[in-house]
Amino acid sequence: MKNAPLTAALRALLIVVLVTFAGFPIYWMASTALNVNAQLYNTGQVPWLQFGNLPELFRELVELPLLRWLFNTGLIAGGTTALSLTMGSILGYALSRFRFHGRGMIGFLMFMTQVIPEALLVVPLYAMFITMGLLNSLWGLVLANVGFSLPVAAFILKSAMDAIPYEIEESATIDNCPRVGILTFIILPLIAPSLAAAAVISFFAGWNEFLFAATFLMDRELWPTSVGLASFIGQYETPLSAVMGAALVFSLPAVAFFLLVQRKIVAGLTSGAVKG
Amino acid sequence: MQTVQTTGLASTSRKNRTRSGRLAALVPYAFVAAPLAYLGVFMFWPLGRQIWMSLTDTRLMNPTHGDFVGLENYRDLLTDPQFYTSLNVTILYTLWTVVLGVGLGTVAALAMDRPFKGRTIIRAILLFGWAVPNVAATLVWLWIFNGPSGVANEITEWLGLGRIQWLTSIQWALPSILAVTVWQVAPFVMLVMLAALQSVPEEVREACRIDGADGLNVFRNVTLPYIMPTMQLVSLLVAVWSIRRFEIIYLLTGGGPIGSTSTLVVQIRLTAFEDYELGLASAYGAVGLLLALLVALINYLFERRRAKVMSK
Repeated sequence: MKNAPLTAALRALLIVVLVTFAGFPIYWMASTALNVNAQLYNTGQVPWLQFGNLPELFRELVELPLLRWLFNTGLIAGGTTALSLTMGSILGYALSRFRFHGRGMIGFLMFMTQVIPEALLVVPLYAMFITMGLLNSLWGLVLANVGFSLPVAAFILKSAMDAIPYEIEESATIDNCPRVGILTFIILPLIAPSLAAAAVISFFAGWNEFLFAATFLMDRELWPTSVGLASFIGQYETPLSAVMGAALVFSLPAVAFFLLVQRKIVAGLTSGAVKG
Repeated sequence: MQTVQTTGLASTSRKNRTRSGRLAALVPYAFVAAPLAYLGVFMFWPLGRQIWMSLTDTRLMNPTHGDFVGLENYRDLLTDPQFYTSLNVTILYTLWTVVLGVGLGTVAALAMDRPFKGRTIIRAILLFGWAVPNVAATLVWLWIFNGPSGVANEITEWLGLGRIQWLTSIQWALPSILAVTVWQVAPFVMLVMLAALQSVPEEVREACRIDGADGLNVFRNVTLPYIMPTMQLVSLLVAVWSIRRFEIIYLLTGGGPIGSTSTLVVQIRLTAFEDYELGLASAYGAVGLLLALLVALINYLFERRRAKVMSK
């Protein structure tokens, strides 16, 4: 191993480059948020973090309807999570525990949902929501989102349930405990980490969603953060530092939770895709 | 694939054809009924309707009515130069995201595989792009790529390369979108590949080194065969996501300049909501879906061939 130091140096250099590429945009988001708009548009951006401008940033943020947006975003994300987890766990349980006709077909349909572009469903869902009176409603949006997150949740939960030995629920079956009871009180607590991963994926699928929200919600009062922030794109006079500050606030929970459950997400996604 | 224990649950065998046995056979369907009904109503019914729409002359003003026109929309598609641009840019974009995203992600995973001081925090930073919401990511990249005051141009100017129209020139728009996409996709690839690298037995690598193989040889003959199936899977995911991806492309360039970054999926939106031609938009969508299915099919064939080779 005569060239070990050289390899180590190259590796360190590579990691520095990667960290710069991966981290710079987030740093720049923070740096922009902590500039005042006059600097951004006239004298040029100050590249470091001017924490002294925090009060100014806060004052600007209050002028945006950010709390309203975050509240709507939370409702959409919460609804998407509740529906995805309820249906995802019964679907995952059935796929994990039963062998029945059409099981392979269901697997194929679930895989299909991951191939269908959202943009393809916008118009038919729009037409459907007009007739169902779900246009311009957060409920309609939740219903549209769940179609994409439910199969992912089911994949993750199924692969976690596959690892739970059947003996554990056998005694409960003999005691005539209904299956739904077994699922809720015996299986789900055992796979809590995977349940958390499925919850994070569904929650932030709803949290981040833009296309459906931008199409189905006309009322500004109902806008989630994604649509609210995107509405600044292409505007002539953007309160840039406030927008970046809001984007940072919007991103922070997603980053924190994804980092927390990263490994479980990978396990669920890849096993789902392998077996799909 | 199935564990032995779980098969004990399937009470559909012949000797169980008693009344309670028949009831038990229905249990699985009771479980899958609600989720399937849901997917049927909110996924597959709209999908079918959209495909049907591509055979009609439906317009946005009246989206629930349209007359059957056969394959006319597809004929229009084939005579529309934008269709060839879109098809071309979709394929180019997909190939490049797979090559660059999977390539960079795998390289990052290899660099991060061995423990070192501060690995956890560096790993967290490397995952930023994956975790940040699309709209937030687009906003900051739009600012970075901004013409007069963006930092990308400050850097190129400082390097003596002059100012570049990152998102507004035909030459640079697609590469700029690719940079943002790779920034988003490579972290996920890294995460998956790191998990795969942990399955490579260290003894085999060690034995290979003792036999005198250098680092590159160990990588090619031991590590690579172990991580190849995962790499193929993650390439499939990245490819399908690229064909599906709408938000960052639409928000960064809106498909421009002059349609040069308008992938099939972005084109659905533009045709439907700017030209109001729902029939034609659906035809674009159908081609996009077909492309994604084709990628999945190719992956499936590869997988089957590998399974055969391995069982020999």
